[in-house]
Amino acid sequence: MSLKLEAGWYKNAIIYQVHVRSFFDANGDGIGDFAGLAQRLDYVQELGVNAIWLMPFFPSPLRDDGYDIADYYSVHPSYGTLDDFKSFLSIAHDRGIRVIIEMVLNHTSDQHPWFQQSRSSQDNPKRDWYVWSETDSKYRGTRIIFLDTEMSNWAWDPISKSHYWHRFFSHQPDLNYDNPAVREEMWRVMKFWLELGVDGFRLDAVPYLIEREGTNCENLPETHAIIRDLRKRIDQEFPGAMLLAEANQWPADLRPYFGDGDEFHMAFHFPLMPRMFMGLRLEDRKPITEILQQTPEIPPSCQWCLFLRNHDELTLEMVTDIERDYMYDIYAGDKAMRLNLGIRRRLAPLLDNDRRRIELMNGMLMSLPGTPIIYYGDEIGMGDNIYLGDRNGVRTPMQWSGGWNGGFSNADPERLYSPPILNPVYGYPAVNVLSQKRTSHSLLSWMQHILGIRRSSPVFGSGSIEFLYPANHRILAYVRKLGKETILIVNNLSSAAQSVELDLRRYKGNILIEMFGRNIFPRIGDLPYFLTMGPYQFYWFRLRQI
Amino acid sequence: MAEETLLSDDFLRQLINVGEVDIVVGLSSHNDAKTIEPVVGAIQAGILKCFPRERVAIINADGGSQDGTTELVAKASIDDLWRESKVYALRTLHSISVRYARGPDPSKALQTILAAADLLRAKACVVISPESTSIEPDWLQRLVRPVYYDNFDLVCPIYNRQKFEGSLVRDLLYPMTRSIYGYRIREPYGSEFAISGRLASDFLGKGIGNEDWGKMGPEISITIMAVTAKYRVCQSFLGTKAPSSRGAHDVVGVMRRTAGALFSSLDSNFPVWSAISGSEDVRIFGTAKEVEPEGARINRKRLLEMFATGVAQLEPVLRSILSPSLLSELQRIAALGINEFDYPSELWAKTVYEFVGSYHKSIISRDHIIQALVPLYRGRSLTFLTENRNGSAENIQRREESLCADFERLKPYLLEVWADRK
Repeated sequence: MSLKLEAGWYKNAIIYQVHVRSFFDANGDGIGDFAGLAQRLDYVQELGVNAIWLMPFFPSPLRDDGYDIADYYSVHPSYGTLDDFKSFLSIAHDRGIRVIIEMVLNHTSDQHPWFQQSRSSQDNPKRDWYVWSETDSKYRGTRIIFLDTEMSNWAWDPISKSHYWHRFFSHQPDLNYDNPAVREEMWRVMKFWLELGVDGFRLDAVPYLIEREGTNCENLPETHAIIRDLRKRIDQEFPGAMLLAEANQWPADLRPYFGDGDEFHMAFHFPLMPRMFMGLRLEDRKPITEILQQTPEIPPSCQWCLFLRNHDELTLEMVTDIERDYMYDIYAGDKAMRLNLGIRRRLAPLLDNDRRRIELMNGMLMSLPGTPIIYYGDEIGMGDNIYLGDRNGVRTPMQWSGGWNGGFSNADPERLYSPPILNPVYGYPAVNVLSQKRTSHSLLSWMQHILGIRRSSPVFGSGSIEFLYPANHRILAYVRKLGKETILIVNNLSSAAQSVELDLRRYKGNILIEMFGRNIFPRIGDLPYFLTMGPYQFYWFRLRQI
Repeated sequence: MAEETLLSDDFLRQLINVGEVDIVVGLSSHNDAKTIEPVVGAIQAGILKCFPRERVAIINADGGSQDGTTELVAKASIDDLWRESKVYALRTLHSISVRYARGPDPSKALQTILAAADLLRAKACVVISPESTSIEPDWLQRLVRPVYYDNFDLVCPIYNRQKFEGSLVRDLLYPMTRSIYGYRIREPYGSEFAISGRLASDFLGKGIGNEDWGKMGPEISITIMAVTAKYRVCQSFLGTKAPSSRGAHDVVGVMRRTAGALFSSLDSNFPVWSAISGSEDVRIFGTAKEVEPEGARINRKRLLEMFATGVAQLEPVLRSILSPSLLSELQRIAALGINEFDYPSELWAKTVYEFVGSYHKSIISRDHIIQALVPLYRGRSLTFLTENRNGSAENIQRREESLCADFERLKPYLLEVWADRK
């Protein structure tokens, strides 16, 4: 069954990011699968999200956790079959949960038949499907993304005795989007999944589709033309389907990806995320308000995607050197926590497992303008394992219970795709869904509560934002408005109690209703509105003119 | 509690918004619009360069400026309001002004700054003169680091001075502080200094505001309190100090705030200083910079005239302050011509000590005693200028050291005078 795709559905969505491999293993082989995911959709529904974003599940040698795709039209055998996927999709839709899948447009695995053919001879019809060169000196102005592993964006292919272009790992050759046949084929791929019923795509690594000499090969006009073309086809044939851009760029560089509302529907706000962590530790709203002030307006149909953590490292590409140094010192004291230009840790360990800070960060995630994404396991405060290499430490099995393999799989523990977290603080005996379901004050219960409040008003997803600037810089306060509905959000970023005076004169006469407890606060008058706040406390107030 | 009477509701509200900080930078202004902007700019640059992660607040205690000084300070805030900012900072930097009085009062200004630092729980409080236009961003680091990282309680400045600058410090304050309290602090009366939160709090509670010497010279009072209470004191080379335009010709006023405070401190600290003999080095951070020599434009004849006139006109006063033999010696040298004039260091040291004794006994108004010292100080300055007109830096240093040695050697004479006058 397909859900009716109302225009703009994504603006009021709450997305849950999950890796099929990590969520639940139904067949006992130690690897999560679609059948397992389908079985656990009741949990996802109860959590209160209404969309799932799946990481790549296509056939792949899995040298980059599935971002190295070897077949775009099928499902990796470890995760099940295409029929299993269809079944999962149907159950998700039955529960009102939309499904967004990953689409890696920029590159394939070097094991993909297209690349195998392309490298086989210079005369092969697929030769021009990738970017080949006799030298490795072209496009010298292009940065290397995976600094820890790659020395160049070119790799030598001993079979065809030439160099191929790759922006990520050398086993991920970039497709040649100057070739119309490639563009057509990738549209066929997207169409295939849309016809099955998926609700949208998260398009991976979109800034890098096109290369041009003399440029940094990012965000080129030709790349935007390709996106516009894909969007046009989607709007014509699958109206309501959504495109989400993964473009780790500054807000001003990201803005063109929305076009005039004719490119992406949504894009991740990468620079905001590290600044939320920074603001929390500095106990100063400045990093957050500044980046949001620098964020340009986007077309009304478009939306930012906000997140605290995801499957990658906490990226520090979009911060200044001084900010990066600060973030490393504060959040990644152990060098093993650092990877590329980022920090490979989950939310709870980043915040020292401080429940108040976890709640505050989630409170901001849910109330700042954008569609929030929750990374699987963060809703129960799962930990990480920085010794697993690459980013695998944040991709460990979901912790369902305190029993065998944390309830993730019936397989022998040695057979699991990854060791589960076992330490006494974050391990599955201590942190798991089952135990948290049993207590009304668990993090999971609290998350369900806040998601429920978020869903109760479209203001959060679609409303405007206006920052208040109380003289106390530890207080981040803003007003969200949509139509006649107004919500005031006040966050205390400090570890100490604070007092704050808010200038709310324009809302004079309104009473405040605290949205979590539904208690009434005094009416707004002519004087500054005075609040005292506990450490890391936050308020969401609905303003009512009674 | 001092802060109860000091802090207006509005100032308190501003402090609440600032919240806990690591460092307070204090300014004490009064109609400083001409100079304060670059000074605050340098402070701001110093914060961003040397303490980008620390929580810092600039607190300006203003004595009723009418020229827009306070607005210029407030403009230096770095916050998240959307406006032009030339600098990028990790944190919000609050820069606030408070009017503590309608007229300037250095003691109250410092009290206000320290009370703010105390309330904000600052680990270090640095005070900068709004007239120090020669300030460089590194001054902040040089003053704050020893407190913030090395656990010192007081950092006194050392300025690079022209050889004829700073004569009051060189001829009186340094040798006297050194001989009395036993510490070789080159600038016991610096207009820039840094203190620890604990010393600020202690000083606020015990010293300033409660005693005359604190009111008269708060900066030197801090130094005296630090050394008498055995706080950890050090010095830091800053750089060239721009000459102050304010009070440059008010030698009497400066003498009151410095020598007056120093003399006044001796009453309550007698048990401490009377037991000290000799002096010890005080740790110095940084190294001195070469100072480009400038031609000295000093009217020696005028100095001699002021000395001679003072000795003659103030004879009745001096007679009550000084011993007959010493007064007679001063009268003898007052009659000398410009080329023969010499006010030897030993005679100067004895003069100062006899003034201290009379001040202690309050044989006449203490203020008159301080005023009477001014012409004699001019005579001593004339001798220094004459001796060092063509002297090298080393020669000058040697003579300074010799003067200090005389003050230390004659300390028993001070004790004798002190007892006699009692």
